[in-house]
Amino acid sequence: MAERTAAISSAVRGKRRLPRLLWAVVVLVPLVVLALLPGGVKQQFEIAQEFDLHPIVKLPKVGPIDLSITKAVIYLWITTGVICLIALVINRLLKAQPGRFQYSIEFLYELARDGIAGSVMKSGRDTWFPYIGSAFFFVLTANLVGLVPLPFGEHHQLAFYAATGNLNVTIMLALFTFLFTHYAGARKNGPVTYVRNWMPKGAPPVLREFIFVIHIVSEIFRLVSLSVRLFANMVAGHAILAVFFAMALIFQNYLIAVVLQGGSVLIYLFEIFVAVIQAFIFSILSAVYIGGALDQEH
Amino acid sequence: MDASAAKLLGAGLSMGLGAIGPGVGLGILIGKALEGIARQPEVSGDIRTNMFIGIGVTEAVALYAFVVALILIFVA
Repeated sequence: MAERTAAISSAVRGKRRLPRLLWAVVVLVPLVVLALLPGGVKQQFEIAQEFDLHPIVKLPKVGPIDLSITKAVIYLWITTGVICLIALVINRLLKAQPGRFQYSIEFLYELARDGIAGSVMKSGRDTWFPYIGSAFFFVLTANLVGLVPLPFGEHHQLAFYAATGNLNVTIMLALFTFLFTHYAGARKNGPVTYVRNWMPKGAPPVLREFIFVIHIVSEIFRLVSLSVRLFANMVAGHAILAVFFAMALIFQNYLIAVVLQGGSVLIYLFEIFVAVIQAFIFSILSAVYIGGALDQEH
Repeated sequence: MDASAAKLLGAGLSMGLGAIGPGVGLGILIGKALEGIARQPEVSGDIRTNMFIGIGVTEAVALYAFVVALILIFVA
């Protein structure tokens, strides 16, 4: 029986097998045709325009702050709405026997509680998990919403934008971490002890003050690096995606267009990975900073 | 060389040169982490967590270069 099926399959394969030369022709001809086809419509493309923020709803200025509703604001609303919706739905549908959806949300929750907050904080996990967990879920949702093409672009019908691809949003998130870090440290250790602990006790006098200054500078740079890392990752990802999607317009060649559309799928998958990793890194660094302020090294 | 050409050249150089160090650093970092996991598979969870913290910190350096490049192109 097995011999017979093997014989049949080999016969089928033999019938279907094309000579190698023919295969080369089959592969090469479309490529050459694609390369030689005249390019499509000439179109100007500026990657910087993808990040333009024009007011969609114009609102008056309050002092120096422009309250107009732009693309970034709408993406923030969408992010908040998605989180609230998922939270409400999962809360209604909680079951003792979790389905696939509940299991995945539970997995993320456990990752945030045990993998992020629990693994780097020695004490105060239960106090500070709400902040770290919500930072994780907010950044994760904002990053993933940024990868869905939505009709808010000015220059195209569908465009990519991420709320976290805006420096204002990420600086705000980093400021929350910064403030909570010092609030947590000051509340647990007492404000005076907390600041005094920035100086190592055993060090000689001049060196001690020097280290104190270095510590303050590093605290400020944490703020910068935390916000700029998330912002730059998102902007770089969206810029690369825009370049790949627009390569056909730039090169005016069908071969390059076809090849790079395949490449853009790979980049897109990589961007999903980056979105998750950046949310993870943001919340784990928040946890590290808050944990470090709670349990100071003397 | 006119000013806009110098700007673009500087942006490209800052991104390219700025990516060298973090690239080497990430290679060393992940290589060592994999070595640690291979030696002690039972603590792979801890190693992976710390590896991601390290990746975040190392990668930030390249992203500073990226921001400098953006500033050179669009702001300066």
